[in-house]
Amino acid sequence: MFDYEFMQRAFWAGAFLGIIAPMLGVYLMLRRQALMADTLSHVSLAGVALGSLISMNPLLSGFAAAIAGGIAVEYLRRTYRTYSEVPVAIIMTSGLALAIVLMSLQTSLSKSFSSYLFGSIVAVSPLQLGVVGGIAAAGLLYFAILRRPLYSLTFDEETARIGGTRVKALSFSFAVLTGMTVAAAMPIVGVLLVSSLMVLPASLALRISGGFASALLIAVGTGLAGIFSGLTVSYYTDTPPGGTIALILLLFLVAGITVKKGVLYANKRKHPLHRERVHPKNEVKENVL
Amino acid sequence: MILSSIRNVVFGYGEAPVLNGISLEIHAGEFVGITGPNGAAKTTLLKLMLGLLKPWRGEVVIHKETLGDRGLKIGYVPQQVASFNSGFPSTVLELVKSGCYSRLGLFKRFGSEEEALVERCLKQVGMWEYRHRKIGELSGGQKQRVCIARALAGEPNVLILDEPATGMDRESRGGFYRLMRHYVDEHGITVIMVTHGLEEAQPFLDRIISLEQKESEEWTCLTTSSCSARFGPALFSE
Repeated sequence: MFDYEFMQRAFWAGAFLGIIAPMLGVYLMLRRQALMADTLSHVSLAGVALGSLISMNPLLSGFAAAIAGGIAVEYLRRTYRTYSEVPVAIIMTSGLALAIVLMSLQTSLSKSFSSYLFGSIVAVSPLQLGVVGGIAAAGLLYFAILRRPLYSLTFDEETARIGGTRVKALSFSFAVLTGMTVAAAMPIVGVLLVSSLMVLPASLALRISGGFASALLIAVGTGLAGIFSGLTVSYYTDTPPGGTIALILLLFLVAGITVKKGVLYANKRKHPLHRERVHPKNEVKENVL
Repeated sequence: MILSSIRNVVFGYGEAPVLNGISLEIHAGEFVGITGPNGAAKTTLLKLMLGLLKPWRGEVVIHKETLGDRGLKIGYVPQQVASFNSGFPSTVLELVKSGCYSRLGLFKRFGSEEEALVERCLKQVGMWEYRHRKIGELSGGQKQRVCIARALAGEPNVLILDEPATGMDRESRGGFYRLMRHYVDEHGITVIMVTHGLEEAQPFLDRIISLEQKESEEWTCLTTSSCSARFGPALFSE
C-alpha cells in the first residue's frame, strides 16, 4: 500500500487532519457550534464556485470564503447571544444557496464541483498536502500557545472577559482557524464529510474522557485511528475513502458509548450502593462550607 | 479609600431605564452586600461595575491607584453557575487551576506555589476530596463552591459574587460568609456580593446597598446602610 506515492500523501494528509480537526471539534462542540464545519464547507464551496466564475484560483477563493464565513458566524453570534445555533444556520443556508446559484452559472464545472462535494484523499496533490501540513502546524501552535485563554473562553465567556482574556480577538482568531482548516480539508474529504472529522471524534471524547486534557487527547487519537483505518479499509475494499473514514469514526463512537454504558452498568451491579454513595445529594458534608 | 465610583449612572435594556441616576462608592477592603427584590437590577449593577455593560449616561470609575502596584484583579462568580454546560469535560482540579491563568499568562509554568494555592482554595470551600470528579457530576451547590474556589485561586483584590450562596444549605452559607469575612479582614480584598439572604449575611457585612423601586416600575433608587460587624480570624480550619 505504501509503495504508492499517492497513498503516502493520503496518510500524511490524514495525519495532519486527524490532529487538528478533532481538536477544533472539541472546542466547537463545547461552544455549541457542532455544525460550524458543515456551515463553513458550504460557504467555502460558494467561494470555489465564485473563484471559477471570475477565473481566480478556486483553492484561494475557497479559503477566503471559509475564513469570511467563520468571521460572519462569529459576528452574528454576538447579535444572537442566546441562540448560538442561529448564526450557524443562517450562514449555512446562505452559503449553500450562493453555491447553488453560482454553480448553475457555470455548468461546465459541475464535474470539478462533485470532487469538492465528495473529496478524494487519495488524490491529494503535493500543494494540497503542503497547505494542510502548514495549517495543522499553525493550528497546533495556536492551541499550544493559547490553551489557557481558550479553556477559560470555552468554559464561560463572561468570566473569561472579566479575568482579562481578550475574548473578541480570541473568538475571531478561532473562527479564522476553523475556516482555514475546513477549506484545506474540503478537497480531501469533501464538503459532505468534513464535519465528520471534527464532530465524531469529539463526540466520543466528550462522552468518555475524565477531564479536559484527556478529552483533547482522546479526540485526536480517535481521529487518527479512524482516518488511518478508514484509508486502509478503503484501499483494500475499493470503497470511497471519505465515506469509509466517516463510517469507521461512527463505529468508534457507537462502540465507545456502548462500552462506557456497559462499564457503568457493571459498576452498578457490582456495588449496589454505588449510585447512592456518589450521588451529589448524598455527599458527605464537608466541615468548612 | 475609594475603590470604585458610580456617578449618576443611567442604564436600561429597552427604551426605559432600569437604573436611573445611581451614584455610589465602594471602598477598598470592605464587604458589601447588594440586595433588592427580583428585577431590581442587582446583576445589572454588578455588570456595570465590571464594565460588561456600558451606561447610557453617567460613569463608572475604578480608582486603580488605590490598589497599588498589583493593579486591579477581579474574581467573579456569576449567577446560576449550576446552569453551566454540565457536559463540560473538566475535572474540579482543572477548573480551579484555570483561576490562576490570568496571573500566569500564556507561558509561565504552573508551579508548586500555584499547586498549593489551588489546594488551599479547594480545601477552604470543602471540595478538595472532589478534585478528580468531573464538574458535570456535581450538585448545584458543589458547582457553586468550585466556582468560588476558582475565583479565589486568581488571588483577586476585588471579588464580585452574584448570589453565590444559591444551592448551599444553611450551614454551608454560614461557612461561606465567614470565609469571605476572612478574606476581607486578613487579605484586605474587597468583596461585593449580590444576595437575597440578607438576614444570614448581614452580621458579616460592612455595608448593605439596597435597590428599591420608585413609583415608576422601571426606575430604581438606592439606599445604603452601614453594618457594624467586624470579625476576628475566620472560623474555619484548613
